[in-house]
Amino acid sequence: MIREETTILDQLTSSFQGNKTQKEALEMLNEIGLPHKKSEAYKFTPITSILKKNIDFSATAENIFDAKKLYEEEGSHLVFINGIFSKDHSKFSNTLKFEVGDVTEGKHDPFSLLNTAYAAEEVRIESGQEAPVYVYHFNSNGMSNPRIKVTIKDGHTFRLVEKLITPEDTKTFTNSYIEFSVGKNAFGYHTKVQNYNDATYSHETVVADVAKDSHFYNNTFSFEGAMVRNNLTINLDAENCEGHMYGLFLLDKKSHVDNNTSVDHMKPNSYSNEMYKGILDEKSTGIFNGKIYVRQDAQKTNAFQSNNNILLSEDATLHTKPQLEIWADDVKCSHGCTSGQLDEDAIFYLRARGINEKNAKAMILKAFALETMGHIKVESIKDEVQQLIDQKLT
Amino acid sequence: MISIKNLHASIEDKEILKGIDLEVKAGEVHAIMGPNGSGKSTLASVLAGREDYDITKGSVTFENEDLLELSPEERAQKGIFLAFQYPVEIPGVSTTNFLKTAINQVREARGEKALDAVNFLKLMKEKMKLVDIDQSLLSRSLNEGFSGGEKKRNEIFQMAMLEPKLSILDETDSGLDIDALKIVADGVNKLKTKDTATIVVTHYQRLLDYIVPDYVHVLYKGRIVKSGDKSLALELEEKGYDWIKEEVAAV
Repeated sequence: MIREETTILDQLTSSFQGNKTQKEALEMLNEIGLPHKKSEAYKFTPITSILKKNIDFSATAENIFDAKKLYEEEGSHLVFINGIFSKDHSKFSNTLKFEVGDVTEGKHDPFSLLNTAYAAEEVRIESGQEAPVYVYHFNSNGMSNPRIKVTIKDGHTFRLVEKLITPEDTKTFTNSYIEFSVGKNAFGYHTKVQNYNDATYSHETVVADVAKDSHFYNNTFSFEGAMVRNNLTINLDAENCEGHMYGLFLLDKKSHVDNNTSVDHMKPNSYSNEMYKGILDEKSTGIFNGKIYVRQDAQKTNAFQSNNNILLSEDATLHTKPQLEIWADDVKCSHGCTSGQLDEDAIFYLRARGINEKNAKAMILKAFALETMGHIKVESIKDEVQQLIDQKLT
Repeated sequence: MISIKNLHASIEDKEILKGIDLEVKAGEVHAIMGPNGSGKSTLASVLAGREDYDITKGSVTFENEDLLELSPEERAQKGIFLAFQYPVEIPGVSTTNFLKTAINQVREARGEKALDAVNFLKLMKEKMKLVDIDQSLLSRSLNEGFSGGEKKRNEIFQMAMLEPKLSILDETDSGLDIDALKIVADGVNKLKTKDTATIVVTHYQRLLDYIVPDYVHVLYKGRIVKSGDKSLALELEEKGYDWIKEEVAAV
């Protein structure tokens, strides 16, 4: 029997043209393979077989760039087309330091390796400008492997917003990889808006290495998508640093979004806070898996996690799994998850004050969803997400 | 104002109300008393339109309109207000925002113009005094983390804002200390006019020292088994409900 995860790789290998690092990544990947049916980490997201069925890996990508609504906000606008940075379509201030270069090493899980092996280039951005950086990925046919590494220097504050735009009539697979290296006493804010469609397949890796006295924030808003997997990893390998993870998956149709997050407390006195919320309608599927590691050295760690979900339809599916591994003995950790229907008592209460049923439901759901908007530091994105939530829940 | 005739209601095939007759006119205050489990809160919920109950028999007309045909929001829009026994906590929705939406939906249904922010705040300030409620409480999430007294005061505050014709107070007094009780009762009394009516559902006579009823009804096993004036409440306070139960058993 031919394993399906090897057939994708075999198909790809014929077109491989990477450097030494990439070659090594490919070898490693060939050894471990892409996730298969029995891979625990992809238990509810059979991404390999779904990709094999839906994505034409040999397709030639088209340019679907669309300037609509771009460049309006103050800041730098970096455009990537099918995983390749396009200077012509980008608009940025000359204070922004960045370079396009050869692929360097990344994480060693299958999709990170896949990105390392097949990324055409690596875009390295350095903090230094105050205004936010907007990154737009316009991806078309086949597979795209955008790869970004961000360095936030000591004492800097840096904001980065990421969006992926894909066509509605062509199935696309985006395998993105972004790495943040947050210096001492620095603040990093990363916001992702995933307003996709039913032809969007993606695997999106976000890694942050946080240094002493620094904070990293990630907000991920997922609204639609054929199959979306978010792998978020925050490494707190220093004292007095913080990791914040906020997520909302507000889904309908047959959307499938899998949030796999992990925060690793390695040194004493660090803090993490995670809040993910799901609202699932129609035949959608939402998955939350939140890992918290507290290593033996990481005494006085504070780690909090919550995942609350509302199911609006009997056909919607939810899987939630908190995973705590604690090796230190003097820590404060808490986690909680709930899932249920809309609270009928709350709806009746609002209706008894004259608010009609539809508005009452919308009011409760919006309030529930908006709580995940904490710490977005880019006003235009705040407004945009709020509008998307309004639109979806009205 | 409201006329209840032979009202039967059940939940999950269990009959709770077994033929209620009650007539409340404008300007009147009716107290409904009774032991636990007699159906008092069910009556309040049914009048407000809670959909968990099946109305199996009887009728309710409110200002010559069939009340049972109306949704909860339509009832509220027409002027019925239920002060909840257990006000619901709604995270993320501030009292202020919620009330603004509610008032403007009610006004819209009545063909009135929506209140703008300035006039809404003016109205709020005026009504806040009435129940001695603090601004900071109103900007917090609706009822979330409120004390029992704060929740009940918030109910009366909402009542003041919505200016209903018929107010139904469902055990608004239970769990209140005497100071909170006085504030709540005082608010209710100030809102009373000759055009409005109040149904006070309570287990204890204590509240009726402050909200003086014109009529007192005793509900027992889903029926009104005795009606009288305020002296009936005093008698119940003194003797308890056992003599009523015996009287009913003897019939």
